[in-house]
Amino acid sequence: MPVESILSRSPTDADLHQRLVYGDESALAEAYGAFGGLVLRVAWQVTRSTADAQDVTQEVFAQLWSRPYTFDPYRGTLRTWLSMLAHGLAVRRAHGDGGAAEESLRLHAELAGLPLPQRQVVHLAHFAGRTYRQVAVELGVPEDTVRTRLRSALGRLAATRADPPGPAAGGEA
Amino acid sequence: MAADHEALRELLGVWAVGAGMPGDEDRVLAHLADCAACAAEAGRLRATVRLLDGGADAGPGRVGRRMLDAALRSRPAAQGVAAHAAPYAAAVAGLEALLRELGERGPWGTPVIHDWDVHGTVAHLVAADEPLAAHLGLQPRVPAPGAAGAPADAPTGKWQDGWEARTAAVIAYEHRREPVETFATWRDQARTLLATRAAHDLELAAGATELMGLRLPVTDHFLIRAFETWVHTDDIGRALGRSVPPPLDAHLSRLVGLGVRILDLALGRRATPVLLAIAGPGPDRYGEEWVLGSDAEPVAAELVLDPVDFCLLLGGRYAPDEVPRGIGGDPLAATAVLELAASLAWL
Repeated sequence: MPVESILSRSPTDADLHQRLVYGDESALAEAYGAFGGLVLRVAWQVTRSTADAQDVTQEVFAQLWSRPYTFDPYRGTLRTWLSMLAHGLAVRRAHGDGGAAEESLRLHAELAGLPLPQRQVVHLAHFAGRTYRQVAVELGVPEDTVRTRLRSALGRLAATRADPPGPAAGGEA
Repeated sequence: MAADHEALRELLGVWAVGAGMPGDEDRVLAHLADCAACAAEAGRLRATVRLLDGGADAGPGRVGRRMLDAALRSRPAAQGVAAHAAPYAAAVAGLEALLRELGERGPWGTPVIHDWDVHGTVAHLVAADEPLAAHLGLQPRVPAPGAAGAPADAPTGKWQDGWEARTAAVIAYEHRREPVETFATWRDQARTLLATRAAHDLELAAGATELMGLRLPVTDHFLIRAFETWVHTDDIGRALGRSVPPPLDAHLSRLVGLGVRILDLALGRRATPVLLAIAGPGPDRYGEEWVLGSDAEPVAAELVLDPVDFCLLLGGRYAPDEVPRGIGGDPLAATAVLELAASLAWL
């Protein structure tokens, strides 16, 4: 039942946030244990560099620890927040080197610019490997909304590939 | 078939990232074999996902303890102290983190409570921490001109006058400085308080002393500092739209215990007895109960409050008729307790 999943999940994020705010280091270690792999993977997929991905990961968890109020457990899950933060920092850090990596990076930059509801579903379904049913529960929206958002998000990204660099006109694909 | 086509087309994004439920993959593949339009879209979406993926070459490496340690260096943890001072150490860590996020040019001028902005609220805390700091032998951080800095535990019973003059003087003084300087003054005084022996030694802190009109053990004065620091952090958080979490469960129950003791003292032995039940902070909500007032009569009413709401009521952040509560029995007796609690408003 979705309701139970929400109830069993949200206290964990709220509990972690509470301990982070009040300076409990073990809360950061827990968050790192749960989401360190995800953050590193997201950063690596954007930067294609182990060293850069590790720097981004460190920056993400340093922000969670030193600026704990920037995460609000009542506005989204920690998983989504960390994944999006890692992605944004990685996009800013990465510099294309031509070739396929260049095109991938451009795509990630487009992803970072998508509206929040679309970005959230891509992060959860793609990077975090959640099924659309889990995504629906985590975001508190109907399953068909998740399916539609995922399709339109990927559709927008695919359209930017069709007509590369220039100011891609949104909407028509 | 058209309805089926619509439904399966909506699944293409899910299919492209592999986020489907069991059986979805087969249904989509069967449809793609029949529908050229969907097959083309599916191909485009999957190619896009592959490009996001970065291919299968090389792994992202491992998450190492080293990265965690580096992250931890970006902010000090709550100071390690004895249990009676731990709620204060946590509250100081929580306010420090919030103020650090504001930075030098942040919204320090946002109105918070009374006629204080964020800057003034922090200055108020500088003054409010002073009596305990002075009792523990620390020098005032803000110059005290003559009698205005007279110890608040002067035996005249007129501690309010001295206190009000002092807090006004400190706020006026701090408003002539940069907000980050006031922040540093508050933080340094708080850290020094937490570094005193009284914060680490329960026995040393067991002795009672009168500060700001309340004769209590020093352990309780540390709790009062925690209480006030947390309430003002919550005030600032509300003003700035940041969610300030309630104190940690173990700390919250200490704060509630202190609040009940102070309320009970104020109520006295002659008041109509009321059973006060404070719901537990944990998921099981199992809490504690106290009988307040006279022990010579049967309990006239039961009053049920959430622990955070109880603290906010005592802090003057809830009107007695607004605080969420459950009342059984004599509503007049229960309301009298709520009204007294709100009237204490010791912040």
